[in-house]
Amino acid sequence: MNIASARQSASGASIRISRLEKRFGAVSAVDGVDIEIAAGEFIALLGPSGSGKTTILMSVAGFEFPTSGTIHVDSEDLTYVPSNRRNLGMVFQNYTLFPHMSILDNVAFPLKMRGLRTAERHARAEAALATVRLAGYGQRRPNELSGGQQQRVALARAIVYQPRVLLMDEPLSALDKNLREDMQLEIKRLHAELGITVIFVTHDQSEALTMADRIAVLKDGKIQQIGPARQLYERPANLFTAGFIGEMNFVDVAVQSVGDNISVTLPSGETWRLPATAAVEPLASGEAAVLAVRPERLQLGTSLPGQVVAVTLSDIVYAGAALLLIGRLPDGTEMRARIPGASQLSSLVPGDVATFTIPAEAMLLYRGKRR
Amino acid sequence: MTEPGRSHFWHSDGRRLSGLSTLLLLLPFFAIIAFVFVYPILQLLVISVLEPHPTLENYARVVENPVHLRVLLRTLWTATLVTALSVFLGFPVAYYMSRAKGTVAALVAVCVILPLWSSVLVRTAAWSFLFQRNGLINSALMALGLTSQPFKLLYTQSAVVIAMAHVLLPFMILPIYGALRSIPNDYERAAAVLGATRLRILLEVILPLSLPGVVSGSLLVFLTALGFFITPALLGSPQEMMISTLVSKQIREVLDWPFAAALVGVLTLFVTLLAIIFSKTLRFDRLMGNAS
Repeated sequence: MNIASARQSASGASIRISRLEKRFGAVSAVDGVDIEIAAGEFIALLGPSGSGKTTILMSVAGFEFPTSGTIHVDSEDLTYVPSNRRNLGMVFQNYTLFPHMSILDNVAFPLKMRGLRTAERHARAEAALATVRLAGYGQRRPNELSGGQQQRVALARAIVYQPRVLLMDEPLSALDKNLREDMQLEIKRLHAELGITVIFVTHDQSEALTMADRIAVLKDGKIQQIGPARQLYERPANLFTAGFIGEMNFVDVAVQSVGDNISVTLPSGETWRLPATAAVEPLASGEAAVLAVRPERLQLGTSLPGQVVAVTLSDIVYAGAALLLIGRLPDGTEMRARIPGASQLSSLVPGDVATFTIPAEAMLLYRGKRR
Repeated sequence: MTEPGRSHFWHSDGRRLSGLSTLLLLLPFFAIIAFVFVYPILQLLVISVLEPHPTLENYARVVENPVHLRVLLRTLWTATLVTALSVFLGFPVAYYMSRAKGTVAALVAVCVILPLWSSVLVRTAAWSFLFQRNGLINSALMALGLTSQPFKLLYTQSAVVIAMAHVLLPFMILPIYGALRSIPNDYERAAAVLGATRLRILLEVILPLSLPGVVSGSLLVFLTALGFFITPALLGSPQEMMISTLVSKQIREVLDWPFAAALVGVLTLFVTLLAIIFSKTLRFDRLMGNAS
């Protein structure tokens, strides 16, 4: 019955954010952001603090009015519409359940604001509580519930009036780790059941990668890259995203020649040949570039084709599922490797020179310098 | 209200204070309270029932004499009006203070607190100056052509209520401000995004959550207003006495100490009853859901 009641909800709305700008005095919190969100899509805004992700969400919620730019939900321009007339659902970081109301009254609050009669709003609030698996908790007070339960009530309250967009402002960061993972699944499940469009703000990249259909990476009020998790992880569009998402090895190189292959010179003087597809950004010979490789793409030994590299190991860290090898190239550049299935490595000790192979397709080249 | 086993008296290293240290810390305060407050009050209460001979006659006079009864009722009514007026004037100021930042907010805070540093007498005298027959208010009204004759403002109950509300306003504003400050901004935002208009946010969220502040402010103002002396004596009409003026008259002019004592006894009874009713009926901890 819980799913049935939720299913009546209209599916999600599409959202178009165009050339959004928000300045606070001389500071640009959001600097020309364009995002097109499809109906029913789950999108995460990911970035360090001060990147503008929260300001974008606040503008969509109507708590901030942008300096310029527009926000459309479906085809309706909501840019300067007050929050209470936007009909959006929102979940906050700190639950924000009203402490003077019972759980049921909290969930029924938006229905009360919409003028529904007591009996109907209580029935619908009960159904929404059942959707988040808290049926029967209606008579309790918010402070009688755990953090995770409170956030589920907040979720029920945000969907009970069947909004077509759900905004979430770091909703899981106040919860401890296990609860966070449960709630991630809970939110994913609700998203699938309701077909609602979700904008999810987080600074936790693994949360963004596991939950969202697409992720917008932000820095200094600008979108660095927007795309599905796999694309962000496997082919980051620029150096910032490459360093921000996951672990990455970086080596400063000089471009020697560009053609069917790209030749680069390492600080040690070695020359490596990379396929032309390795260049994420257009490169010219003579330019400085950065070579990027994920630690888990390094293969121990030379049995596979690819670029061979010798690393002097300094630390060997047992990290459960994988073994983390930390070492340096001859010029001192740090290089890390994550090797799953650690049994054959028992002989390695710090000080050893280990030989790795990097598959050609695992190497990415960016313009610029790391340091 | 405090849980058993929990105390606010601690050693600096976290151990509970011994009985002796507690005694030493609190003794001077309670000695003074006992000497200048409890003892005289008890003394008066004793006089009220023992003089001229063991009797409840003095109390009977308070209720039986319609003049005295009216003084009592007028006092309660005036205190109620003063409380209502200061909630009405104080709540918006407290709300503004709790939400504003910067220079203007600091300025408002100073304006609220500054009057506390000047004497009640000065502030009351200022009002009598304004309320005079040819004072600022009447001259202004006549200059604007709103009236041809000056109003009688001084020596009226309205003058007393307005001036008392002004004197007591900080005691209303500060507790409400404290309560409003502890309400996170996100509650307002949450209510707004859930569809509440500004008025409904105020009525359904802000007001209920600030109620403890409103109640404690009202209690402070009401109880102080009950026993207020200077303002009613200077601005009020002699025909519309308040209880404190009557007590003073009985002691200084009529020299009827037993009757004055009975009046004080009635006032004390009211104050005590009110305090009990408030603390029993309004369970603040439940109201706030015992929030962390």
